[in-house]
Amino acid sequence: MPDQPRQVRKRNMTFASRTVTRIWQETPSEKNPYLAEQCRCHGYDILELAQKRSFADVLFLLFQGELPTPEQARMLETLLIVLINPGPRHPATRAAMNAAVSKTHTQHLLPIGLSVLGGAHLGAAEVLASMRCLAENLKRLPAEVARECLFAPRPAEGDFHPIPGFGSRFGGIDPMPRQMATLLVSLPGAGRALAWGEGFTEALAPYDMGWLAPGVAAAVLHDLGFSPWAGGGLFQLACAPGILAHGLELADKPITAMPFLDEEHYVIAAEARK
Amino acid sequence: MSLQPKQGSDTSFWDHHRGRIFTRKGGLVFGKGVFCHGYDMMEKLVGKASYFQVLVLNVTGHLPERRLSEWLEALFICLSYPDARIWCNQIGSLAGTAQASPVAAVSGGILASDSRLYGPGATLAAFSFMNEALKQKQQGVEVQEIVKSHPNRRNDGVPVIAGYARPVAQGDERISSMVLVAERLGLVSGEHLVLAYELDAVLTAEYGETMNLLGYATAFLLDQGFTYQDVYRLLSCWVNSGVHACYAEAADQPPESFFPLHCEDIDYQGKAPRPVPA
Repeated sequence: MPDQPRQVRKRNMTFASRTVTRIWQETPSEKNPYLAEQCRCHGYDILELAQKRSFADVLFLLFQGELPTPEQARMLETLLIVLINPGPRHPATRAAMNAAVSKTHTQHLLPIGLSVLGGAHLGAAEVLASMRCLAENLKRLPAEVARECLFAPRPAEGDFHPIPGFGSRFGGIDPMPRQMATLLVSLPGAGRALAWGEGFTEALAPYDMGWLAPGVAAAVLHDLGFSPWAGGGLFQLACAPGILAHGLELADKPITAMPFLDEEHYVIAAEARK
Repeated sequence: MSLQPKQGSDTSFWDHHRGRIFTRKGGLVFGKGVFCHGYDMMEKLVGKASYFQVLVLNVTGHLPERRLSEWLEALFICLSYPDARIWCNQIGSLAGTAQASPVAAVSGGILASDSRLYGPGATLAAFSFMNEALKQKQQGVEVQEIVKSHPNRRNDGVPVIAGYARPVAQGDERISSMVLVAERLGLVSGEHLVLAYELDAVLTAEYGETMNLLGYATAFLLDQGFTYQDVYRLLSCWVNSGVHACYAEAADQPPESFFPLHCEDIDYQGKAPRPVPA
């Protein structure tokens, strides 16, 4: 086997001399080139946007380069509200709460929660996968896709997501995402993916499976024209306020404010405590 | 359909776990000690096992030989370059110049290394390729053919194989050092590493690409019996030390003095100024 030190060469690659952006333009101050005198988002002055448009409008603009139609803006605004808090039982929120009660510096609470919310189960990675899956399957009938994916082997224990964004939670249909989807599909801006998801969950319902929050997010964000990569991050952004709020609620509480299981409830297998 | 329609939710699986934590790993038993996979941590591990032995124990449930943990420690040094141009390290520098905490800096740098291009994030791709390649070899496929038939290609036709290319550099100075470590420790290689070098020979001769450290480490650890999950977990903090170096240097300087940019250093190529519609 070759084990002699090898010649390491710099790869012949051309790196950009300056980073390029099509999103944000900073006009330098005449007095100091490090300071911006004016900032524009896709051509619009940010201070003018602040006076004339909503947060959801500017969020849409930031990712898509154009301001949304009123229907698109309402869809996004509604999605941002329904997702604003994954709730105190979601692993991401619990991570922030656990950190907060143990007096982690509060500026870390959101990154901690959002890292956990990056997961493939009810997190950003599931939104991304769900958006890709929706894009691949929208031309097919939901019932046909349901028939196929229900043949897939399901885990011996725990929940089953036949496709990302759809399935069971704690063994049943999660009512909140279902209601979120019902609300969103009634809006004038509702699109094809949301309608497809409604059809798909109809086929899943007899098996106690339905919409999951990442699936609702994926369908709406697909219909609004966001990329799957943006979708995962926007899901994290949408859920961030609730995660932070729950963390901060515990930040000034004593460490006893959350359960620390006694030995009766922390069960160490015999082989681990020999 | 493989599933039968259900009449109601069966929550017994979750009911069993509700309000309790079941573990095969261990934990603190007040008045008795701290147990870790069957070892009394204070009596049997502290001062007797190396940190990397305990890391492997915690990840896999098995305490490895000390020499394997020494090899792993050397592997971690290989990703400890204090070079602030390396992407994950620069996150340490940026955190330092923003006066973020060292824990935030290192966490951010480690998270950045969960990348499809390098670091622990590329582990799955490297393992998948090596496992598949070995299967093909065992079925009689020539190594040249394995490389030739690899589906991922650059525009110039060079195969893009995890473990056999490296950002910025061609060649990998770390492999020969790790080979020496393995030899000194008497760690023998097996069929994965043999194949890894055969692939390396083909790629070098035909495409000018060589095995990188991840490719070498993947084959070596497969030979040692580790799974992909084990290795992804073991290597998750691989870049820790280099990020620390870059953080420390930047944090000790005035804020925003690390690699500062003029407004004009960003090349804006977007839309021209326009009025906001009401």
